Amino acid sequence: MKEYVLLMISAALVNNVILARFLGLCSFMGVTTRIDTAVGMGMATTFVITVSSMLDWGVEAFLLQPYSLGYLRTVTFILIIAAAVQFTELIVRKVSPPLFQMLGIYLPLITTNCAVLGVALLLVEGRMNFIGATLFAFASSIGYSLVMVMFAGLRERLALAEIPRMFAGPPIGFIVASLLALAFMGFSGMSAG
Amino acid sequence: MTQSLNLDYRAAEPLEGFAQVVALEGNKAWLVPEQTSSCGGCASSSVCGAKGMGTIASRLEARRFQIVNDFNLRPGERVVVGIRENALIKASITAYAIPLCTLLGAGALAQWWAGSDLITMASMFAGLAAGLWLARLVAARLLVRGELAPRFIRRAAPGESCSVE
Repeated sequence: MKEYVLLMISAALVNNVILARFLGLCSFMGVTTRIDTAVGMGMATTFVITVSSMLDWGVEAFLLQPYSLGYLRTVTFILIIAAAVQFTELIVRKVSPPLFQMLGIYLPLITTNCAVLGVALLLVEGRMNFIGATLFAFASSIGYSLVMVMFAGLRERLALAEIPRMFAGPPIGFIVASLLALAFMGFSGMSAG
Repeated sequence: MTQSLNLDYRAAEPLEGFAQVVALEGNKAWLVPEQTSSCGGCASSSVCGAKGMGTIASRLEARRFQIVNDFNLRPGERVVVGIRENALIKASITAYAIPLCTLLGAGALAQWWAGSDLITMASMFAGLAAGLWLARLVAARLLVRGELAPRFIRRAAPGESCSVE
């Protein structure tokens, strides 16, 4: 139990997908203009990363490793991620069309989100069991969502602040992102300790 | 940098978007959202891989929605529509958080009880199915309360488009 808790803290905070591994930066800058859109994107990504990682683990354990097909890993994982996104889209549309009207816009962006593929490839490196891999994927995506929402909150305030013209827009966004990354570096002390 | 205004960051602002009236049906108008990329568009949109995927006509047609036509809307008109504050968060929790919770809960229970990867995997997929069924019930309740329905805000000015930072 303790090892799973440590695994999740490590995945969400110490080795944060965005601020430590620099994955998913496109959506990090693109969808964080409002907190509610960041929450929508974060939750959709959390769902897709968790489900696709479960499928990736199964394919890796029962197909790629036994038949020595490791060289097909990246292509296979990309296919699984695309299928997981399509599956999610289909399910949301079937479960509730109004939810699909509201949330469907975020799903295509997830297909091209490198964080999803990155987490799947990290699972292979980690050689975890199924529950460990799923919790790692879930915690990684919670870390991704946490940073998205924090950054969106900061950007909402920055939009109303008096900022020198040359720093307005993306430049101040990148400066704030770098400060957030520095703050998250503090968590690396947890692993050293 | 000092803040010169007294700003209320909790102020309720609806999420706005552009839509086009495509058909009238009694007192209801059918609208289709205008083409945007998934992330709302940015300076890199010409090279963004997500752009094309969010803009095809079939996707927009699938997101066709209905509003009460109390404003004498006509087919072809562009309007600004919005959803209530927090509606997106409630919708996200319903669609994604509920199934994820049941999925992880079922997985944790199965791992504790059986300790086998295959049983855990099967339990997680069963938990996912149960969560989706629960999400459907919650979504139906939200729909009855009108919390997921877009609202008409105003007619769009000619040439008006989303502001991109």
